[in-house]
Amino acid sequence: MSISTPGGPERRPTVVSTGKKPAAGRPAAGDKPAAKAGAGRPGGGKGAPRPGAGGKGRKPVTPVKVSQGRSWGPIALFAAVGVLAVAIIGIGAWSVYQGAQPWQKRADAINGMVDFRKKDKDLVKGGNHQPGTIKYEQSPPVGGPHNQAWQNCMGDVYPAPIANEHAVHSMEHGTVWITYRPDLPADQVAKLESKVKGKEKLMLSPYEGLDKPISLQAWGFQLKVDNADDGRIDEFIKTLRVNASIEGPNALCDQGITATGTTPRDNVQPNMPEQPTQ
Amino acid sequence: MTAPVTTDSEFDDEVPAADEGGRPAARRYGLLALAAAVVVGLLLGYAGGLLTPTLSRPGDTSAEAGFARDMTAHHNQAVAMGLLAFRQGQDAEVRQVGVDIATGQQGEIGTMQTWLRSWKLDPTGEQAPMAWMPDGAGLVKDGLMPGMATPEEMAKLRAASGREFDVLFLQMMIRHHIGGVHMIDGILDEGHDDDVLAVAQVMKNTQQNDLTNLNAALKRLGGTL
Repeated sequence: MSISTPGGPERRPTVVSTGKKPAAGRPAAGDKPAAKAGAGRPGGGKGAPRPGAGGKGRKPVTPVKVSQGRSWGPIALFAAVGVLAVAIIGIGAWSVYQGAQPWQKRADAINGMVDFRKKDKDLVKGGNHQPGTIKYEQSPPVGGPHNQAWQNCMGDVYPAPIANEHAVHSMEHGTVWITYRPDLPADQVAKLESKVKGKEKLMLSPYEGLDKPISLQAWGFQLKVDNADDGRIDEFIKTLRVNASIEGPNALCDQGITATGTTPRDNVQPNMPEQPTQ
Repeated sequence: MTAPVTTDSEFDDEVPAADEGGRPAARRYGLLALAAAVVVGLLLGYAGGLLTPTLSRPGDTSAEAGFARDMTAHHNQAVAMGLLAFRQGQDAEVRQVGVDIATGQQGEIGTMQTWLRSWKLDPTGEQAPMAWMPDGAGLVKDGLMPGMATPEEMAKLRAASGREFDVLFLQMMIRHHIGGVHMIDGILDEGHDDDVLAVAQVMKNTQQNDLTNLNAALKRLGGTL
């Protein structure tokens, strides 16, 4: 490409020198074929003889400056191809960059989501195991101290409310905890169940006293929505499940409390046969 | 390209005359165009080089990404069963094979999650489970991929003890592994990434070995599938 473009202007004079009229050229007054040819000689390393120096079998002709304004076709073509190529690469690079944005940036873009990591850094530090009942500032809670036992989060669908103290621990392990007001219609509950079943690091339970029909929690994040068809639910899960974990994707979800009930079972060995169930 | 070059050289021979007045401008323009072309070419090459690894690594809907996500979910349940066997198994071999499966598959989960991170993909996909396998999505029942135990079966296993536990565990893990090998065969057919294929082959070897021993143990304990 780079060679042919400067060579472009030479083509027309060559044609002209054969005696034909320039097809789409601009035959200015006094424009003579040989002059044109001379002006358009390919730039090379060799020094170019003057037109009047006497060529082999050619009449000397008056030099006419015709180089200006002749090559707009190739220039335009070159520019168009260049702009197109840069645009294609640019759009590709931009979309790849957008797609590969870190999850934190994509989380910021979820409309209506509360990011407690920005509001309260201490809340989401994690780590603290604390026995017994714990008071949380948020309802449902999104982080903070928790019991040593976590709620089983292997895509568990809990038919009754569970203890915050265990659920917070599950979220520390990367779980998205979906809660719904007990009066949520059954068909909407079924839609939420289908999002959860069979997928570890997800769990679903009803929650008393919610100010909205559905509330999603991940470690440090909360989103409240009105119905199960809200597209932000899937967005929240995709962006924050495991990603929001402060302990990484290998944190365990099994071997947790599988029973329901809002009273924490801190001193009970999970999953042992003597574990009380409701 | 060829024709103009030929005529140009003819022209050179015939007309050694050149217009001195027009030359500097044409030459400046030519050099400028050449420089611009070289710069644009280099930029395009650079951009292409930057983009190539991005375009060539598995995408969000690739078989590799689907396998990494779905096998993570599948493995997670095997880890759960294996840990139960390590703690609740009565038979020594059940306890031993249980902890082996739990630690081995947890390690493989780490490998698969690392793939996703290095591919700049989320652990969660947009597609349905098994959608990356031909006719795969239809095999998922109630969110469970082939071989996976239902929540009720898992609850039954948690509550079991003694020989009952051992036999139940072996039956469930054999089914789980058969489903797992089926999914591994899926990526061995559909996958392109060399590392994914190599790891998948090792997974298959391990699970087929396990199957031999699980079946033998089940027979030894007098259980049937």
